[in-house]
Amino acid sequence: MSAATSPAPLVEMESISRDFAGVRALDGVSLSVRPGEVHGLIGENGAGKSTLMRILDGVLRPSAGRLRRRGVPVSWRSPAEAQRHGIAMIHQELHGVGELSVAENILLGREPGRGGFLRREAMAATARDCLASIGCDLDPWRPFRSLSLAEQQMVEIAKALSQQAEVLIMDEPTAVLTQREVGVLLRLIGDLRRRGMGIVYISHILGDVLAVCDRVTVLRDGAVVRRFDDLSGVTEADLANEMVGRALSDQFPPRSAPGAEVVFEARGIAVPGCVDDVSLAVREGEIFGLAGLIGAGRTELGEALAGLRRRRAGSIVVRGRPCRAGTPGEAIREGIAYVSEDRRGTGLVLGMGIRENLTLAALRQSGRVVVGGAAERAAAARQVRDFGIRVGRLDDDVATLSGGNQQKVALAKWLEVRPAVIILDEPTRGIDIGAKAEIYRLIHRLAAEGLICIVISSEMNELLGLCHRIGVMRAGRLAGVVEAAAASDRDLMRLAAGVASTEGTP
Amino acid sequence: MTPPRALLEALPRRWAALPSWTGALLALLALVLATTLRNPTFIGGENVLNVLRQWSFVGILALGMTFVMTLGGIDLSVGSLVAFAGGLGILVMNTALGAAGLVTSYEAALGQAGVPLPCGAFRYALSRLFLQLGLAGHEGLAVALGFAVIVATGLLAGLLHGLLISRGRLAPFIATLGGLAGYRSLALALANGGEVSSRSPSLFKAIGTGGIALPGTNLAPQAPVPVPLLIPWPVLVFMVLAVLAHVLLTRTRYGRYVVAVGCNPRAAAYSAIDVGRVTRWTYLLMGFLAGVAALLLASRMNSVSSSGTGLYYELDVIAAVVIGGTSMSGGRGTVIGTAIGVLILGVVGNMLNLLQVSTYLQGLVKGLIIVVAVLMQRRPSSAA
Repeated sequence: MSAATSPAPLVEMESISRDFAGVRALDGVSLSVRPGEVHGLIGENGAGKSTLMRILDGVLRPSAGRLRRRGVPVSWRSPAEAQRHGIAMIHQELHGVGELSVAENILLGREPGRGGFLRREAMAATARDCLASIGCDLDPWRPFRSLSLAEQQMVEIAKALSQQAEVLIMDEPTAVLTQREVGVLLRLIGDLRRRGMGIVYISHILGDVLAVCDRVTVLRDGAVVRRFDDLSGVTEADLANEMVGRALSDQFPPRSAPGAEVVFEARGIAVPGCVDDVSLAVREGEIFGLAGLIGAGRTELGEALAGLRRRRAGSIVVRGRPCRAGTPGEAIREGIAYVSEDRRGTGLVLGMGIRENLTLAALRQSGRVVVGGAAERAAAARQVRDFGIRVGRLDDDVATLSGGNQQKVALAKWLEVRPAVIILDEPTRGIDIGAKAEIYRLIHRLAAEGLICIVISSEMNELLGLCHRIGVMRAGRLAGVVEAAAASDRDLMRLAAGVASTEGTP
Repeated sequence: MTPPRALLEALPRRWAALPSWTGALLALLALVLATTLRNPTFIGGENVLNVLRQWSFVGILALGMTFVMTLGGIDLSVGSLVAFAGGLGILVMNTALGAAGLVTSYEAALGQAGVPLPCGAFRYALSRLFLQLGLAGHEGLAVALGFAVIVATGLLAGLLHGLLISRGRLAPFIATLGGLAGYRSLALALANGGEVSSRSPSLFKAIGTGGIALPGTNLAPQAPVPVPLLIPWPVLVFMVLAVLAHVLLTRTRYGRYVVAVGCNPRAAAYSAIDVGRVTRWTYLLMGFLAGVAALLLASRMNSVSSSGTGLYYELDVIAAVVIGGTSMSGGRGTVIGTAIGVLILGVVGNMLNLLQVSTYLQGLVKGLIIVVAVLMQRRPSSAA
């Protein structure tokens, strides 16, 4: 594939596969990084970008496939070992130690010392040199936590350079930066490229990808769907098209026509730092989707509607009745339920029994002070039957259930409170196809029964198949609302990534 | 008939299905059996009731601690709180009893050289109040007031801890560590480092020293009038409270919420449980039980030693709860286990005394038991 003029790749990943508990997350993915190259890696959430980079970074080991460093077969078992091979990663969430200084962070674990004592002057000098080499003149003794995000990123890059890294993985590096800081970073990346470094650049911001990358690899469903070796003439729309791909399966039940009456309205919802003036209106019998990239504020919006986050502004009206929903308890009394995206962390109480989880949210409403009796058992047994939850014994720990059954417990738990509105955040994340279809049918049934359903999902195809209308969020704002039947995944991706939305499809 | 092999294979599963306190119960039975074999006086009614009475105060505190630790918290202040609440209650009671004399002597002292005690002004004001209300000198009223002050002090301290932890976002360890130092210091200041002795002739000590006669028993067969075996009030109170606590933890919404918050406070909050409120009620319950324990202990001793009463109780209490199988990290706890834990500590102490083991070494044995108990509770099921 590589032309005769191309130098040997700094690192090559060849036919990498990776399974998680029987689920194939990566399937025969190959990627190479040459000296002096910025290699873009793009794909939807869950396409396998992170898994691939965690393998390159040494956090994960591949189930199959080979790694080569400058043509020599290698393998590493930890990030530390990968670092010794010259691989460094700048994470999206920066991992500096806030209480330590800039110099201490750069030299963490490699402090110059004599007889167990630190040599502060040497540390400062080394740190200053590293920072100067990327055109940055931070005081080496400033505490890390006092730095801006852009400065923290610079420190991380300086740290990577001080470790003699040759391959730098940057995960969504511009997401947290201001426009001016992005310019600085992109110039720095160009500078590093001229020095012969290889850079893997992961981003959802397709404009930046086109501006900085030499080649682009597109992942979808754990496989490479397209590699652009020459980006001249390639547009953001081309990249977006490759990312979302095709395949709308028939696992979705047919949509019934929604009514005309607006039954749920949220106006001007604002959460500091996450959600900015979002208004929604949902009609009778309608399933409303919320799309957007990670960090766009979808979950935060859902949590704000359910009283789990403090709103700075905004009002909620359910069937003509204004709702305060200031706390989760208040939201439930007013009929708004939120099924968390994080099933194991917040959706269910792991360590408690299935029965206790099923009835936990509805206990207060039931008005019963005494629990654990026959009535509770009967209620739990009915829920298990109604939702087709496959359980051993009702008193088993809910953690023993499969992902799909856990999700059904989480859903059943909230439906037991008989809400008027249910907000489902990533209702099918991490569950198998069969369970997904069951959840879709359940959502349709609920909508038909008059429950107002809002579905948050990162899977564009899921929203397109399941919902009537989809609101797309971008950077905390509602970028647009589309009719699912008339829209394509490309439309959603364009709105989500901020590419011009009104132009016709090419 | 089941073949023995299949039975053996089923054992681990059966073991996991048994209540978490089964191991502790077996250990208790083994201890009782071993002690009885060495010294048959152990199992005698009098000795058993003595042990029970001695440990009922720790037991009542341990009931509250079971809730606190199931919630994922801890309360280090209980021992100091018992001393402070008891001391304050007796002081107020004594003030009410001797109000007339106090007012006269303080007024005389004021005329000469100022108030002698740090809390002198407080007692003077209180005495004046009692005199004006016409409550001074009445023993029944004074004792009732003393008891009320003891329980109210416990409740207030519990409320304070709950607020500091839920609203002030303090770690429970820190909030109650402050209490551990603070209440002891208040008790010492109250008594000027010494004792506060009850001036109530008979009423105040009645509940701590009295009990219900067990019919058909006679401790002195030779005496003309039979002397029945008394079940001490503190033991009865502990038993009743233990039953109530068990029902509260296992069969009420509040108890369910405590377990949920202890398992995962975030998930509990997402389930529309008001975590702060559950926390506040739990520390309030702990404070109430500390008040009850202080009341019974002060009444039993008819006095409170500001330096010795309740000293290191927090360690015995936490040990009992942990031996009973309650998880230090929250989410798992049983009142039955705690009761067994209290009994194990009581039996071990008594056994060491009967076997004439040096008191200096008894702490070591207690420590070993705690460590072994927790090691044994590592279930294979949790590792799998």
